[in-house]
Amino acid sequence: MPSDGITAVKQLFTRLVYSLGRETATRELKWMKQALIASHSPTLAAMLQRRLSGEPLQYILGTTPFGPLDLLTRPPTLIPRPETEDWTLRLADMLTPTPVRPLTVLDLCTGTGCIPLLLCHLWPPGSTRAYGVDISQHAIRLAADNAARCNIPSFQPAPYSQNVFIPVLGDLRDPDVFKRLLPPFDIITANPPYIPKREYDKLPVSVKNYEDPAALLGDPPDSEEQDGLTFYRLISKILRQKGMLRDGSIVALEVGRAQADAVEGILQQSAGLRNTQVWKDPWNVKRVVLARA
Amino acid sequence: MSSPEDIARARQLKELEPLHEAWSNWTHARQSLEETLPLMQDPDPTMRTLASEEFTSLTHTLSTHISTTFPSLLVPPSSTRDLHALLELKAGVGGSEAALFLLDLLRVYVRYAGSVGWRTSIIQSSETESGGMRDAILEIKGEGAYDALRWESGVHRVQRVPATESSGRTHTSTVAVIVLPLSEDAESMSGNDELFKMEDVKVEVMRARGAGGQHVNKTESAVRLTHTPTGITVSMQDERSQHQNKRRAFQVLRARLMDVKLSQDIANRRATRRNLVRTADRSEKIRTYNYAQDRVTDHRIGLSLMNLTSFLEGDGVQDFLDALRRNWQEEVMEDVVGESE
Repeated sequence: MPSDGITAVKQLFTRLVYSLGRETATRELKWMKQALIASHSPTLAAMLQRRLSGEPLQYILGTTPFGPLDLLTRPPTLIPRPETEDWTLRLADMLTPTPVRPLTVLDLCTGTGCIPLLLCHLWPPGSTRAYGVDISQHAIRLAADNAARCNIPSFQPAPYSQNVFIPVLGDLRDPDVFKRLLPPFDIITANPPYIPKREYDKLPVSVKNYEDPAALLGDPPDSEEQDGLTFYRLISKILRQKGMLRDGSIVALEVGRAQADAVEGILQQSAGLRNTQVWKDPWNVKRVVLARA
Repeated sequence: MSSPEDIARARQLKELEPLHEAWSNWTHARQSLEETLPLMQDPDPTMRTLASEEFTSLTHTLSTHISTTFPSLLVPPSSTRDLHALLELKAGVGGSEAALFLLDLLRVYVRYAGSVGWRTSIIQSSETESGGMRDAILEIKGEGAYDALRWESGVHRVQRVPATESSGRTHTSTVAVIVLPLSEDAESMSGNDELFKMEDVKVEVMRARGAGGQHVNKTESAVRLTHTPTGITVSMQDERSQHQNKRRAFQVLRARLMDVKLSQDIANRRATRRNLVRTADRSEKIRTYNYAQDRVTDHRIGLSLMNLTSFLEGDGVQDFLDALRRNWQEEVMEDVVGESE
């Protein structure tokens, strides 16, 4: 990489060490070099410069690992988090659909499509039909690109021998969205925006300045409640609709720190799902509320 | 489709191949010798010369069979012959010079593996600012990789003038190598087999993430495993994926536990039959690379190779691996013979 100017790279790297610590900076530099070899497009100096101004590494590199998958990441769609990866793997382990007893999955606020794509990837071929709904066109396009990248068909009718993931552009407040998708659903997952406004204001630059606020902010600005839980109330209404769930259906909702108890209460009271439990993430934070219909 | 019985039979046939080959070569050579004897009395002097040359070559073949080929067949087939290998390298004394030498050694093993047709990947490394490596783990995938390389375990010592040394003084630095056995399924993250129980392994993610989840998009993928009964810990952070780091960590943990098990097996066998085969002490200095004298010496078998470049840039390591294997076979043979007395 003679065009980079070795001195420039060294200087930028020194600044990155200052900003992230030596260990992290060294690893990130290594991953940037690996991505350079794979793509040829930008220069190392340009990548370091972007990183220094606070851009998330995943947008610079263009991909992020998610379980065994390597997913595309594009601004402003929310970057899949390791916490989400962890519980999705756990959910995948918990159930064993087969082509004889297939499952239908509905993922709300699907973003990159990471949750349904990982389930489709891990479960046996022909056992899973998944839908991912998102209000953002960027997200839906990215989810479709990711399906193609993972060799998972994203159209109907797909061959019965394959798992299918269909991204759907739609608003959760529109009651007709789900009618087109053939409920009831066996599994409903969601990683909805859950950050309260007062916490959003204090987020690191790499989150606040680069990722879609619509994927992060839990409540609309005009909402009375500013606890980050608006989407859980909305989802509970959807779950309550007749024919959305069947007996034994599973609901898995990711939550923010200190929200698990409140969300458990919402599911029990307004969705009528009494059988709930909470999963912790690898960092010991209550991360998922799980309910069984 | 081949049944398990077919596979077992095919394997047995393959294992008998060297025996069959040795015996046919032996009988063939004996037959030729018998045919050659009358020709040594032939009236034609040219024919007598040819026959005598033939006689020398055949007696040599036959005596090699008696002294080397047949005894080596006594060595029981290795129980670890299918295993792949993990090579752990750690820079010892000598600071940045040791880290640079670690890189030289790493290249030797990568090149050697490539020449045999084994696939390699560096699954962990920590680079130093001077361009060397403090430590590295090299995965070598190929049947027989462990058996071929296991003698490389031990302390490797280099004596040379570092590139950074202006006064031209020779430095001595060391790199410790440990060769671990790696089975096909080592990346599996489910436990409960002969090596470990899942409940005995503590899986920890490193570093706090504050609120985590949507609040943080920093890449934090480091994982640490602790095997409680043995206290073995494995940390992995080289991959961007936590899932991948975990898979790698389990792979290394399995390799270390299998290594412990194999050493125990050897110790037990020695206890029961007063085995003479020495175990490798990993803190033992096994080899010296002396640049001034352009020489590599293996201290265990007293073998010196006078051409350092052929070791570092060529296939010189093969000579050592061959010699060490022969040495090991001889020790096992002595042992087998001693046992039958």
